[in-house]
Amino acid sequence: MTLSRLLASFAITAALAMPGLPAPANAQGGPLRIEITEGVIEPLPVAIPPFIAESPAAEQLAADLTRVVSADLTGTGLFREIPQSAYISGVSAFDQTIQYADWKAINAQALVTGAVNVDGAGNVTVKFRLYDVFSEAQLGDGLQLDGGSNAWRRLAHKVADQVYSRITGEGGYFDSRVVFVSEEGPKDARRKRLAVMDYDGANVQYLTDSASIVLAPRFSPSGDRVLYTSYETGQPEIFVLNVGSVQRQRIPVPGDAMTFSPRFSPSGDSVVFSLSQGGNTDIYAMNLGGGQPIRLTSTPAIETAPSFSPDGSQIVFESDRSGSQQLYIMPASGGEAQRISFGPGRYGTPVWSPQGDYIAFTKQNEGRFHIGVMRTDGSEERLLTASFLDEGPTWAPNGRVIMFTRESAGAGGTAQLFSVDISGRNLKQVSTPGAASDPAWSPLLP
Amino acid sequence: MRRGVQISGAGHLALAVWLLVGGWLPDRRPDEADFTDVTVISGEEFAALVAGGGAPDAPQVGEEPAAPAAPEEAAEAPEVPAADSAPAPQPAPEATPAEDPDPAPDVSGVAAPQAEVQPDAPGQQPAPDSPDGAAVTFAPDETPVPREAPRVAPLAAPEPDAQAEVSDTVQAAVDPDAEAEPETPVEEAQDATAPEEATTETVTEADEPQEAGEVVAALAPAGSPRPRTRPAQPAPTPEPEPEPEPEQVAAAEPEPETQDEPEPAADPMADAIADAVADAVSDAAPAPSPSPSEYSGPPMTAGEKDALRVAVQRCWNVGSLSTEALRTTVTVLVTMNEDSTPDTGTIRMTDFSGGSETAARQAFEAARRAIIRCGASGFSLPAEKYGAWAEIEMVFNPDNMRVR
Repeated sequence: MTLSRLLASFAITAALAMPGLPAPANAQGGPLRIEITEGVIEPLPVAIPPFIAESPAAEQLAADLTRVVSADLTGTGLFREIPQSAYISGVSAFDQTIQYADWKAINAQALVTGAVNVDGAGNVTVKFRLYDVFSEAQLGDGLQLDGGSNAWRRLAHKVADQVYSRITGEGGYFDSRVVFVSEEGPKDARRKRLAVMDYDGANVQYLTDSASIVLAPRFSPSGDRVLYTSYETGQPEIFVLNVGSVQRQRIPVPGDAMTFSPRFSPSGDSVVFSLSQGGNTDIYAMNLGGGQPIRLTSTPAIETAPSFSPDGSQIVFESDRSGSQQLYIMPASGGEAQRISFGPGRYGTPVWSPQGDYIAFTKQNEGRFHIGVMRTDGSEERLLTASFLDEGPTWAPNGRVIMFTRESAGAGGTAQLFSVDISGRNLKQVSTPGAASDPAWSPLLP
Repeated sequence: MRRGVQISGAGHLALAVWLLVGGWLPDRRPDEADFTDVTVISGEEFAALVAGGGAPDAPQVGEEPAAPAAPEEAAEAPEVPAADSAPAPQPAPEATPAEDPDPAPDVSGVAAPQAEVQPDAPGQQPAPDSPDGAAVTFAPDETPVPREAPRVAPLAAPEPDAQAEVSDTVQAAVDPDAEAEPETPVEEAQDATAPEEATTETVTEADEPQEAGEVVAALAPAGSPRPRTRPAQPAPTPEPEPEPEPEQVAAAEPEPETQDEPEPAADPMADAIADAVADAVSDAAPAPSPSPSEYSGPPMTAGEKDALRVAVQRCWNVGSLSTEALRTTVTVLVTMNEDSTPDTGTIRMTDFSGGSETAARQAFEAARRAIIRCGASGFSLPAEKYGAWAEIEMVFNPDNMRVR
């Protein structure tokens, strides 16, 4: 190539690459094409006018129900409610025509309208519609829910779940419950008992008394039973408790072995747990219908905190077989385990997400505790929190939110429940009557 | 050729001789006479001039006009001409007789003060009374007199702001009493305003600096270190054909213009340039009108396209998208009105990748909201190029917005 050709080529390239200069026209057919790669991350403005009371008995209920729906949505950090004082036009009837221009003017990108009716028998009927304001179209069909008057909060949660799902494209988690350990008293003589509540801290009910220490409750896949560890016999033992009847049953193991850290299989008919005997701790599985525990690991290391994958084919657990506490994955029937955590510090309490794409864990490194997530192959590790003591993550039913225990430092430090979005945003404390720890999220209620 | 050398040598020799000898040749031109005006004075007149002032000392001082400037302190050694000059401690023998015959110990002591007052010496030197120009040459009067400072500013001072006195707004009064507290301005009540919470990236608690008082000052790493991906090696390019030896070419074809050049495809530089040109064309070339045959005007410039891109991404809110929708790239086609607003009824998704159909639908909804919201008042598009942007295909790629 001659020098002149070389210079000409460079000149052409530079001229074409220079911004602001017109490019050759009509280099390719079709419409103008641009690529958007940067956006903004902000809560979606939503207008939630008060639900319309279609009967006098429903007035208070309509207001309460609207408040819960709004709290559910805004509590996710994904939505921002537009205050009613900014409304240009209200909603006076459930079937009235929506004045989209009025809602556009206040930048409401979604509009939720609803109505509540209470019949003579006390049954509550809630119906709602969701509108995409800028598209000037209804987002999904209208929906009507029925329930008893004492279930109005669940009705509100279900409305919020529908709105959340239609906008974000993933399932909701508002109509769910959380079992946890309620704590009282000083740090060196703390009394603990099992409690269950709505995901937002409402409707707290205690399942056990505080006569003995209880630890690590876990919901069954159907949400009707709870596995937990109790020290009522002086050493840790696993019990299964029926949430409805509050009846409990000890899971028998041979000899004087200690059992702890239980978790249901996805099918709910078996349980995996740690069994410590003779100074060695390994992971076992046992059918709840009867039978003997099946040993899944067999090393001199301490191996505990097993958690099934959603399809039940694998188990993630923690082990110090490599000299430090790390995360491993093995087949559900036992066998060779594969280490997935390789970062600095110690990893523990792994929990497989309901979607199966992430594993949440506790990490201790350089004097701080973190809640983090990683892919099931150990990649894309992200730490979501950092504090004096964070531990025990549990997934929301949709795999978008993680709840965990955060304990403050000092002799007067107390444990509280916190939740955080999987993105690391929206870290907030969960309201509980007192100190609380060891949360476990239930699946969505039927 | 030898003859030429001889001629050239002879010429140069003649030139050299002329230069050497020519200067001695008599100049036939008449000498130009220079006349200078002089003033002739007699010896008596000169003596009278000398006796009339101290000017005679001045030429002796030479280039140091400050030396004779003996202040009052130098009365004991008035004849020290240059006290700051170490080699000249001795006074001139013809100097006026000093009353103190022993100036040596005093010279050193006086030297320093003389140096300090030296700047003032020219002014203290007596000016010669004689109007003689020769004497005036060394007179300190030649020192330029500083120009007087302007007494009047070149520009008039601006008038005080009259509104400051008649304003109705409440301000802190200028109170001569320094102890009095200034009056607090009264602010009108208004609603608190703040920009919407928005960000372009997610910062988790683990990313924030550790607060003081915690156990360890160091931050936890944001993620476990991973070995970097080894950069892909460029594909081996074929070696260009070696150029034929010049001798061989000359032997085969006498004319060098007819040499065989290497094949362009085998030239790696040419390939790189061709690729760069192709990339530049594909990147910079705007898409023409949806009816290219109808639109033949100027294309959209890169700046105009960037303005459109920025306008859309300002409204592209991915904060409420699911994790799967954040992995989904959607391609949206929209027909534009001539007033640069989108025809909202025409917005449709033409393609998606990276996620399920449900996730793509959510991603499309977010994209459509962005187009409608920020296009409601019209995008900044050149009206004369409507044909170029009558139909726009927007690719919403959330890779950079995904939580990593």
